[in-house]
Amino acid sequence: MTQILIQGMLLSGLYALIAMGFMLIFSIGRTLNLAYGAYLLVGGYVYFWLCQQMGLPQIVGFAGAVTAGVLMGLLKHRLIVKTLNGDHVAIEISTLILAVVLQAGVVLLFGDSSKILLPIVPGVVTVAGAQVTFNILTATLISWAVIIGLYLYISRTHTGRAMQAVSMDAKGAALSGVDPDRINLITWGISGGLGALGGVFFASYTQLYPGMWVAPLIISVAVVIVGGIGSILGTLVVAHIVGFMEVGVSSWSPELRGVFTMILIVAVLVLRPQGLFGREETH
Amino acid sequence: MKLRLGLIAGLSAGLLATTALADIKVGFIGSLSSDTGLSTLRGAQIAIDELNDAGGVMGQQVSMVTADTGEDVIEGVKAFEYLAESAEVDFIISGSIDDVSLGWMPRMQEYQIPTLDTWTSYIGIIDMVIEDPEVMAPYFMNIASDEALATLYINFGAEVLKAKMGFESVVILAEDTAFGQAITGLVTDALAPVAGIDVADVIVYDIGTVDFAPIFSKAQNSGADFIYQVSSVNSQVISSQYVKLQVPMAMTGVNVSALGMEYWEDTGGAGGGISTLSPVPSVGFPLDPVSQGFVDTYQSKYDTRPMIPHFNGFNAYHGLKQAMAAAEAAGGFSDVAAWNAEMLKQDLILEKDGQLWLRYGFWQHGEVEEVTGRTYPQNARFDLTSPYEDAQPSMVVIQWKEDGTVGVVYPFEYASTEFELPSWVK
Repeated sequence: MTQILIQGMLLSGLYALIAMGFMLIFSIGRTLNLAYGAYLLVGGYVYFWLCQQMGLPQIVGFAGAVTAGVLMGLLKHRLIVKTLNGDHVAIEISTLILAVVLQAGVVLLFGDSSKILLPIVPGVVTVAGAQVTFNILTATLISWAVIIGLYLYISRTHTGRAMQAVSMDAKGAALSGVDPDRINLITWGISGGLGALGGVFFASYTQLYPGMWVAPLIISVAVVIVGGIGSILGTLVVAHIVGFMEVGVSSWSPELRGVFTMILIVAVLVLRPQGLFGREETH
Repeated sequence: MKLRLGLIAGLSAGLLATTALADIKVGFIGSLSSDTGLSTLRGAQIAIDELNDAGGVMGQQVSMVTADTGEDVIEGVKAFEYLAESAEVDFIISGSIDDVSLGWMPRMQEYQIPTLDTWTSYIGIIDMVIEDPEVMAPYFMNIASDEALATLYINFGAEVLKAKMGFESVVILAEDTAFGQAITGLVTDALAPVAGIDVADVIVYDIGTVDFAPIFSKAQNSGADFIYQVSSVNSQVISSQYVKLQVPMAMTGVNVSALGMEYWEDTGGAGGGISTLSPVPSVGFPLDPVSQGFVDTYQSKYDTRPMIPHFNGFNAYHGLKQAMAAAEAAGGFSDVAAWNAEMLKQDLILEKDGQLWLRYGFWQHGEVEEVTGRTYPQNARFDLTSPYEDAQPSMVVIQWKEDGTVGVVYPFEYASTEFELPSWVK
């Protein structure tokens, strides 16, 4: 049981970081960014290329991965989201296709065999019979730091409050002098950076492979749907529910890992469509 | 008019020349992007090049058509249909994994195209040969079947894991595949009665699993002394996480990713301590001069991974030549019964330092293997008894060391290094 608690806590921190960027776009831009997993894919591969293939320091790898994610987010907003002008179905299909194209690009550049990222911080410690790598411990601590930083940014800065305003009512925010387009652009950039950073940690915890964008996307969708729109707290809590559930199910029956997450999504959609912590939308 | 006649004559000559240059069509079925598939493809291509350079087969040139399975069962069925119906190949060489071979097997039975499987080792297919030899006449498997692999591995369990290391119990971690189920069944049935090692638990996981921490915890909680892994699809993840997590139990078994020299790079160096059974010839296995010549040609021709062909590359190289020799003796591939009879006669013995080192032959119908007490018709010939004078052992156990070197640890006659526990387990 202690092992499940420890491993669940570590995995949940990582899931929270991964889902946070997706939640921002869904809450502020009202867009299901189905290419979100591609940020993780690109972030992981950029880090791998810079650190393991080019031999550059880890800080350069992180900077390169986050920069690539931010640029992808900004470009996606400018070239796809803005161009399609609020057509959500078209945006979702386009972003999904973009993810598939990026996957093909990764295959072209790196091949389709899996790559293993070296631990960001090597070493392992045994806690209550569970092996805890310094790598996942570091990933979890950094995830928490980023999430707290994001919370402070959104709640205490002018841009953050503008993001909240756009999230609640874009037209009302515009009438109050906020530029929703600029806020959306910033949000897409932040989302891309968070996704790419999550990708480095996710890849170092698991592996790098061209199809690695799918699993984090499913986790993000699950967390945001179950947590509800516009709630950092909801995202955090549900990331922990999903993380603990996955670890618990894996310890009991590894083949069923992920199945209960799907059941949870369907149950919440049916019983509480606004999510456990989300506000009800009024139109 | 003269010009038109000249054109017609030229075109006819061209067509005839093309026909003469590519009269025997070999179809490759397997993944065009995996090390496994590429090993078979390249081994077959080198054999074809050598045959063509030597004047071809029955005076005809040999060409190859490829059909990609992507290691997917449905794609594998489509690939076989393409080779049979569109490409109309005479012979198929397969680098398919077990599940994919099982997928296209009904098509092979239907089309009756002579087929040589170089990677698939599922004993159920050999059972099909026994049950219906006529329908399965076109099929040959030139890798020792998984029952033979597992049987010799059990000896490794008894002589090394039990006798030397003192292990009493095992927990099996197996991918949810046909190969995983087959090997798990064989090992579970034999480890306790033959090697005296009890199976404490069997944990089956999905091939898409990327987080093994809870699974390793479950394995530790089973109280077993060591882990037996059966992984043929996504093997480097379990290996690297075993090393990264420093799981305090030895891990051995079947790890397909560890069969190639790229394993170390693929795991980012986090692959030491893992041991796996491997069909012969494995990495770290000394080669006879003929097989070494094949590797030299391979490396001069290809500069992308796999840098050294996996065992199925050798099977494809030697096996394709044997299939062509059988066709020459049978007057082609069209009379499947005649080709089958000639294929069963193929027997290539390769020596190293005056000793039998590798043998590419087949078990005959009704011929009983002494240790298992059963028949293996149309399966690669193997030997399960030391000192392996009839053929090479069905498998060897190799171990990757923590410094990135690899060697054979069992059978002792072929050993180049000793089995040892990872530093964090000792």
